[in-house]
Amino acid sequence: MRGGIGYYAALALASAALLAGLLAAVTRQSNPAWAGYQLAYGERIGEDVEIGVRQIVPSLSGEPEFCLTCHIGIEEISPSHPVEVYGCTACHGGVGTALDADLAHSTLRGGRNPSDLAVVSEGCGGDECHSGDPARQRDHIARVERSIQATYAGAIGAVLWTFGQSDGETHFGIAATFDPAPLPDTLTSLSAFDPDSYDHPSIRGFGENCLSCHLSAEPIARRYFYRSTGCAACHVIYADDGLYRGNDPTIPRDEPGHPSAHRMTTAIPYSQCNHCHNRGNYDMRTMEFVERDDLPPPEYYNATERRLADYYQPIGLFTLCEWELDCIDCHTSFEVMGDGHIYAAQADIQYVQCRTCHGTLTEPPATARITDPDDIALGRAFLLGHVELNVGDTVVITERGEAMWHVRQIGDEFVLTMRVTGERLTIPLVMDSDCEQRPDEQESRYCHACHAYER
Amino acid sequence: MARRANFFEHLHPPTLPRRESGFGYTFGLGGITLLLFVVLGVTGVLEMFDFSPQAPENYRSVARLTFEVPYGWLIRNMHYWAGQAMLVTATLHMTRVVLSGGYKGRRLNWLIGVALLVGTTLTDFTGLVLRWDENVAWALLVGTNVIWEIPGIGPMLYRIIVGADKVCCSATPVRFYTWHVLGLALPVAILIVWHLWRIRRDGGISHIAGSRHIRRPRAELVRVESLAAVTTLAALVWLSVSMDAPLGPPANLERPVDEAKAPWFFIGIQELLRHLPPLLGGVIIPVGALIAIALIPYVFDRSKEGEGIWLNRPGRNAQVIFGAIMAAIVLLGVIGALRR
Repeated sequence: MRGGIGYYAALALASAALLAGLLAAVTRQSNPAWAGYQLAYGERIGEDVEIGVRQIVPSLSGEPEFCLTCHIGIEEISPSHPVEVYGCTACHGGVGTALDADLAHSTLRGGRNPSDLAVVSEGCGGDECHSGDPARQRDHIARVERSIQATYAGAIGAVLWTFGQSDGETHFGIAATFDPAPLPDTLTSLSAFDPDSYDHPSIRGFGENCLSCHLSAEPIARRYFYRSTGCAACHVIYADDGLYRGNDPTIPRDEPGHPSAHRMTTAIPYSQCNHCHNRGNYDMRTMEFVERDDLPPPEYYNATERRLADYYQPIGLFTLCEWELDCIDCHTSFEVMGDGHIYAAQADIQYVQCRTCHGTLTEPPATARITDPDDIALGRAFLLGHVELNVGDTVVITERGEAMWHVRQIGDEFVLTMRVTGERLTIPLVMDSDCEQRPDEQESRYCHACHAYER
Repeated sequence: MARRANFFEHLHPPTLPRRESGFGYTFGLGGITLLLFVVLGVTGVLEMFDFSPQAPENYRSVARLTFEVPYGWLIRNMHYWAGQAMLVTATLHMTRVVLSGGYKGRRLNWLIGVALLVGTTLTDFTGLVLRWDENVAWALLVGTNVIWEIPGIGPMLYRIIVGADKVCCSATPVRFYTWHVLGLALPVAILIVWHLWRIRRDGGISHIAGSRHIRRPRAELVRVESLAAVTTLAALVWLSVSMDAPLGPPANLERPVDEAKAPWFFIGIQELLRHLPPLLGGVIIPVGALIAIALIPYVFDRSKEGEGIWLNRPGRNAQVIFGAIMAAIVLLGVIGALRR
């Protein structure tokens, strides 16, 4: 090669290739993948957004995180988990220093949901977090793992009994679980239920079609059923259409299956409970889930009518307050999240009755005065935000001594503050009323006999 | 008026044997290897501006370089790909030398070349560890534990290399960093200079005896080298723009990994370790193969005949031995890679 035209042509070509490569590098540097999300966020909120890496250094870890570079605009998960303290990776895991989606998400706990029961001990646990002191009811994870919503023990036991596959005792839950300090009437442990170990076709059918209503089960991917798993199954709110309505540009707004916002709450509306409850029935002959066909469409937004329409099923007996209030206005944390013990069925842990708040002919509701500034009730009210509760207040307590901290006695009146809406309602008492209930028939089902609400 | 030779021309003798300095004979492999090493030096120094050797800051600084520092990703990708490519071109260069009898009468330079191969491999190995992601687990745990197996000096050698009795977050990454930059790359640079100088000392590029009169001026060679250099750089830049150097989640040596993966050039050894005791598979066989390669001009082909001739007959033993070792490395590598 003596420097002829051919040589210089080849050199020019190689130089052009090198130059083009450098230009490609400049293009790549000036158009990072995350910039697209920031532009999309700007469009969503209708403002100019400064394009650049967003770094936070959460005080808990002291380690920088770049997550908000793409997830710009995402809602803070809750006021009790401020992002400047927790950041993202404390709960979610992942690689916070990466700006490459695959790497950043490579070690996420539970995919999008660090509260899934498979990973909840890492995602939400720790002595200072939700695996804390049982005496302070900070052992949320242990309680939930043994709760009837997680074990599904009642349904499993009932089906096994119905088809002659049980000795009448409860042995099985969704996962094996153990209570180191059981009560006299609670179970010590459950083994993991394996429907495939049964020859009975109904048990196998139950395993295939009916294990969709516990905290570890993936939801049915259809409208009305969208929810998460683990803690987020209840504490992260989904719309009936399963669409995201927040401002994180990485979450598509037209793809069902996302919560309506990246937010956890203790103000859980009845509609969230309904993503599992009141959606239909299991047919014990075919072992199939039969969806209700009378549900209001997701776009039906007359709140009052909607509440009534999708609250209980047509055959159910229920009273006015049962659809007027939210589920959590009556059902306590112990009932819903468990009290740390293993129960054989839902009925064994469901103890709040009409009389808890309404009293009986002879007695007003049981009450207690809050005297301890460290009382758990004060913390819960504070967390919720719109229930005013102070030391010295008198609140209704359940038969297990659990404070119904949103039901206060004010003078002679009992006032319930709805935990979701903040609306205040005065509770009518049975005492001095025309109620005809017999002293030995004090359970709610007897109240329904007269107070049933006809739809 | 005669043109004055430029700097690059001065690196060469005034004239070179036409055939043996042609691209069709050398494939430019030695020169490309040298260019890649220069690229590694430049990008490596640029990386050092942002790199912190201590764990866990080492991983963070690599992530910062990759994602935050302007063009840091390009620097890192070029460093990574140049490092892998250098190992490939150096091995191919060595293969060319064996097959064309280039080692004949140049025993010392052959040994320097073998030392360069070892140095390049270890530099690559220590460099991969510096990113401190989960994929360094094999290098740190399996790779270094092999050193323990060396009879007598194993534990002492291990402490010298790893910095402690076990891999840990304070001493080990600093050790590897120092090994990479000063303990290996710097000696490699010195050896490269020596290697090049020895070529001149040994009478220029090896060639067929008696072909000295068919020569070309050095300016011509420099032109070819320029073209090869620009082409190599273009390929390197395009590779770096389109394929990122690997980076996994941060290393957590406390947590067992599902499958410790050896770097690609040690997959063969990893495969041996699956079947053989560590001393045999991790030390005796690899070191034995290396010694066999080093002994080529001393034991397997002591002749001078056949220099510059492809697959020359006197060098048949050397070619078979070297070919068998390379084939074994490739075969074991492929078997190991398919297992993943």
